[in-house]
Amino acid sequence: MYSALHSLPLDGSSIVGDFQGSLDGTNLPGDACLVLTTDPKPRLRWTAELHERFIDAVTQLGGPDKATPKTIMRTMGVKGLTLYHLKSHLQKYRLGRQSCKESTESSKDAASVAESQDTGSSASTSSRIAAQDLNDGYQVTEALRVQMEVQRRLHEQLEVQRRLQLRIEAQGKYLQSILEKACKALNDQAVATAGLEAAREELSELAIKVSNECQGMAPIDTIRMPSLSELAAALESKSASSNVPARIGDCSTESCLTSIGSPVSPMGMSPQAAAAMKKRSRSVFGNGDSLPLDGTTMRHEVEWMMNNMA
Amino acid sequence: MRELDFHEDHGSNNNNSGHTNKTTLSSLAQFASADSHLQSQSLGSAAAGDHHQIFGSALPGIDPTLFVHHSEYGDVFLNNHDFSSLDLPHSFHNNLNSPNSAAVGGFDSVQDLIRAADCFDSNQFHLAHAILERLNQKLPSPAAAGGGGAFFFKEALQSLLTVSTRPPAYLSSWSEIVETIRAYRAFSGISPIPMFAHFTANQALLDALDGPSSPFIHVVDFDIGLGCQYSSFMRELAERGSVCKFGAPILRVTAVVTEEYAIETKLIRESLTQFAHELKLRFQIEFVLLRTFEALSFKSIRFVDGEKTAVLLSPAIFRRLSLTGGPTAFVSDLRRVGPSVVVFVDWEGWGDSSGTASFRRNFVNSLEFYSIMFESLEGGGAAAIGGGDWARKIEMLLMRPRILAAVEGCGRGAAPPWKEVFAGAGMWPIGWSQFADFQAETLLGKVQARGFYVAKRQAELVLCWHERPLIATSAWRC
Repeated sequence: MYSALHSLPLDGSSIVGDFQGSLDGTNLPGDACLVLTTDPKPRLRWTAELHERFIDAVTQLGGPDKATPKTIMRTMGVKGLTLYHLKSHLQKYRLGRQSCKESTESSKDAASVAESQDTGSSASTSSRIAAQDLNDGYQVTEALRVQMEVQRRLHEQLEVQRRLQLRIEAQGKYLQSILEKACKALNDQAVATAGLEAAREELSELAIKVSNECQGMAPIDTIRMPSLSELAAALESKSASSNVPARIGDCSTESCLTSIGSPVSPMGMSPQAAAAMKKRSRSVFGNGDSLPLDGTTMRHEVEWMMNNMA
Repeated sequence: MRELDFHEDHGSNNNNSGHTNKTTLSSLAQFASADSHLQSQSLGSAAAGDHHQIFGSALPGIDPTLFVHHSEYGDVFLNNHDFSSLDLPHSFHNNLNSPNSAAVGGFDSVQDLIRAADCFDSNQFHLAHAILERLNQKLPSPAAAGGGGAFFFKEALQSLLTVSTRPPAYLSSWSEIVETIRAYRAFSGISPIPMFAHFTANQALLDALDGPSSPFIHVVDFDIGLGCQYSSFMRELAERGSVCKFGAPILRVTAVVTEEYAIETKLIRESLTQFAHELKLRFQIEFVLLRTFEALSFKSIRFVDGEKTAVLLSPAIFRRLSLTGGPTAFVSDLRRVGPSVVVFVDWEGWGDSSGTASFRRNFVNSLEFYSIMFESLEGGGAAAIGGGDWARKIEMLLMRPRILAAVEGCGRGAAPPWKEVFAGAGMWPIGWSQFADFQAETLLGKVQARGFYVAKRQAELVLCWHERPLIATSAWRC
């Protein structure tokens, strides 16, 4: 039952010995027996299973602090296990648990390390892990704790960054949309103004035409300037401003106005004459003071129009 | 010549004028022998003629010429003394010693402005008018100002003097609105100020309104601006709604606005409603006229049982209220409403100032504050992006109205001791969550502008520019 196996003394240096592959450290028979090394000073090798039995016994007894070597020995019931073995092992175990308790992660890591070592290498012992815990445990847990803190802060800051980014984007998107709406409203106003301008131009052209050409017709002051509501109605009902004068016609010269097909070629006039007249009317407009409405009131009226149209 | 008596509030200054004059005289005794290099920069002879006439009527029992003569130099020296105690930005101090004429010109303009402000305290409006007229040559346009928006302050003072020609309340035009939105967008890009104010306020709201107790949130906002704050607020609510079993909260906003804001109101309503719709958030916004609020206080606002209420305040409403009942009544009414949180965003550098009745004092405070604001705009952000032009536009469109309102409020004891008023009504400040701290710092990291940092001052999160506070946000609970 005893076989010459690799043994790793507690300080971690390895002693190379003969290795008989028939029995490795993990398959103890059902009735527990010990594995002793073959060097001059026989040391107990704490195999994984032995250690497991040890832990079982300890937990049975209520934890490493409550358990004593004597009781453990009795509970484990392993032949050849002396009090000395158990004393030292229990002490290491207690110290290992203490440092493990401080950070659960490190114990997990240690456990996974232990597992990988156990399952992986036949030469490893749990005592080696316990030893490492003893020596490096404190530094490991400390480092892990710091790392955890850093990770937590990083995580929080990432969260803040992410949320902040969302908020900044939301504000940017909102400002864009409100700007677009305002620009559109401005453009609508400009279009309406332009439409109004064009309509007004047409009307005064026609007024001039009427006064110049349509002699014997009713004088100018009977020509009623269409009210703004009619203009609004006219503008509303169509998109182009070309045939506004045709729609607005409620004056005594209606026949004269409505018979005008398009602004380009008014009735009975040659195109050149029409163009010349247009030029004249525009120069009248150029002074600016022939406009019945001035800038500010027009703006108010346009706003009123817009509110009605909206 | 009859003295102009336009502002009913300035009537109260009559009582103070005697007092301030006395203090000026007593401090003159200290400086009487002192020499000031600005002695040569006396008021022009044109103004001197006015002195005698006005002083003859204002100050019985005191030789007017003596007062005038000393007041110039003493006043100037007093101003110097004041400046150092006020710890104004470096430009002012540099100008004191610099032989550079342009710089001195700028400093000189500020001196003149303060002298003019002084005249308001002592009701010497003709003198003020004369000083401002002379200042027109030095500050013909905003660009020529010695910095700190001196031009706008001059304009504001002049508008106070010429109340007869003050234009009536008018609606903004669409082109003005478009320009304002563009300037605001640039402002958000250049400076962390607007985003800081919005995000800290939002975070205070979120931290206080968090919790599954009620999904109904009602925010009463006294200074809605363009409604930009609610876009990020809604985004955050939608995000929370996706994880919470209740679904997203239902948000209702009541904004108190002035009549001139009619067109913006429509725009804001449309934009916010659309934004909420895209986020699939239930949202409703109502507007209440400030005039109605002044008459009915919180009864003008609709409250619904079961809602969690939050109130957003800024100095603007306090300034407006000092006309009517005063902030104390407002705050006690506020308390009766029982909001979950009251957030105060201090855009105007009120800080710990206790209200004074001196026009000059409030004026100097405003002057100081806006000079820092302008510096932060021009120095910090705009220079980095190379958008000096935008700085001008921002100053013109966004700062100028505020300056006008601030100067107008100077005569009414602008800054009440709001912290005491809050405390007196039984409100106490809530601290800031770590998230809010992180957020503020991260925000500063993102913005290109240099020179800003976040500090904590008692319960406030303060955005500072080179050690000078710009915006301070605080959250209070009843």
